[in-house]
Amino acid sequence: MFERLLRAIASRWFRLVLVVLVVLSLQTTLFSEIRPFGYAVQIVAVFVACVGCTHDIQTGAVVGLISGFMYDAVLATPLGVSAIVFGALGALAALLMQPFREPTWWLRLLAVSVVAGFGEVLMPVMKSVVGLSGWLDARIIGASLVTFVAALIVASPLIPVSRWTLRERLGRDA
Amino acid sequence: MLGLAAVFFITLDLADSDSTSRVRRAFDTIFSPIEGVTRVVTRPVSNAWNAVRDYGDVVEENDRLREQVALQEGAAVAAAASVRLSQELLALNGLPTLAGINSVTAQVIGETPTNFSQTVEINQGANSGIKVGMPVLNAAGLIGKVTEVFADRALVMLISDPDYALSVKVVTKSSRTPVTLPPLPTEDAPTVDSVLETTDTSSTSSTSSTTTTILGFTPGTTTIPAEVIAGAGGGSNITVPLASQLAVRETGILEGRGPGTRPIVRFLDASTRTSAIEVGAPIVSAGGSRSLAPPDIVIGVVSRVVERLGTAGPVLEIDLVADLSSLSFLRVLLYQPITESGK
Repeated sequence: MFERLLRAIASRWFRLVLVVLVVLSLQTTLFSEIRPFGYAVQIVAVFVACVGCTHDIQTGAVVGLISGFMYDAVLATPLGVSAIVFGALGALAALLMQPFREPTWWLRLLAVSVVAGFGEVLMPVMKSVVGLSGWLDARIIGASLVTFVAALIVASPLIPVSRWTLRERLGRDA
Repeated sequence: MLGLAAVFFITLDLADSDSTSRVRRAFDTIFSPIEGVTRVVTRPVSNAWNAVRDYGDVVEENDRLREQVALQEGAAVAAAASVRLSQELLALNGLPTLAGINSVTAQVIGETPTNFSQTVEINQGANSGIKVGMPVLNAAGLIGKVTEVFADRALVMLISDPDYALSVKVVTKSSRTPVTLPPLPTEDAPTVDSVLETTDTSSTSSTSSTTTTILGFTPGTTTIPAEVIAGAGGGSNITVPLASQLAVRETGILEGRGPGTRPIVRFLDASTRTSAIEVGAPIVSAGGSRSLAPPDIVIGVVSRVVERLGTAGPVLEIDLVADLSSLSFLRVLLYQPITESGK
């Protein structure tokens, strides 16, 4: 029993929850205050895109869904809206990387940035679908551009973090 | 499968399910300490960012504010006296006033982390008696309502959020001249109703009218002729404002339109007279049993009147009196609207 509990704690999914908690806390503190041109950088979306770019479609979608649920629990938006959006982002990032057998580092950065920026388009669309209209305006372009540029910078450290988080067994496969 | 799970939760949450509220509260218990630690660790970074970005603006704003404070000091005393008088009159007539509603002071501790919601986080929650739906004010006026409550914090949806709507009154003025009645024997004195029904054909005599610079404030004037003051004559002229001269209160719905865009007021009544609404007319909460806020909380002033064709009625653009971009200390009125009770 105790061994099973330890194994669960040592699993990559438990590690994922802990890492997303830290990323989420950065989102609600540092990145909600540092707003280039008045837009908040969506670090959680960037993290999900990083996971998608370094793993398969299913992993990307599941990580996106978990991160989205956690994000929704912090926000006042209906539980599940961010989950669907981030799930789609994770899957999309993995899908973009599929044609490339050995993608270069800059290709990954570009894919992460494009997907994270696209998330800022998808979010107001999804909110409109559930009845929270009023956000489909020109602000989407600014929010997407800011997240795109910021993702080019913050994705570099986040890609290794996403790899470490979802590694099957720590310390064995480097 | 994952999508279905998400849709299931969205449906539950939109139906105000208790289970989703419990999930949020449980998550908050885990997340709050982590967020607190991260806030402390990242505070120097965000402070440095703000210092670099805002220093020039802050100095400029400081100078401007000093000048503004000096200008406002005198006006504040007069306004406080007027407010007190108004509250006494309302209390005397058994009408609800803000003074009778308890409040909790809270500090803003965080902004919304997304680009698609207009919320702030405050450092008071259910432990202080705050509930979902309670109106939130700052020193200037209404800024929003509580949408999510945790033990020691709460989320406040700002008035500029597109999901925010509130019934409001537009206080307008009339330009018609007041009626001054000649002195009458006591037994022939008119009742208030009969006076208000009197038309403009009544004679007008010299009256000392009160002037004011407060928009929307139309004082009725009572004048006593010089001969009465001197002890001569048998009665006094009474100037009564016409019913149409009293401040007209058009009611409508205020809706947020996102950051950087002025909220608008749409009228419920399509027959609203556009000409009666002036730029600068005050907008206050309408109150009422189903309103989200008690009556007469200052919200803003009309900045533009947009006339529309047909029976659509005019649309007003509003300049909010509260600066939503720099909120610090807020006041949560412990007034839960009927429509939000039980949440």
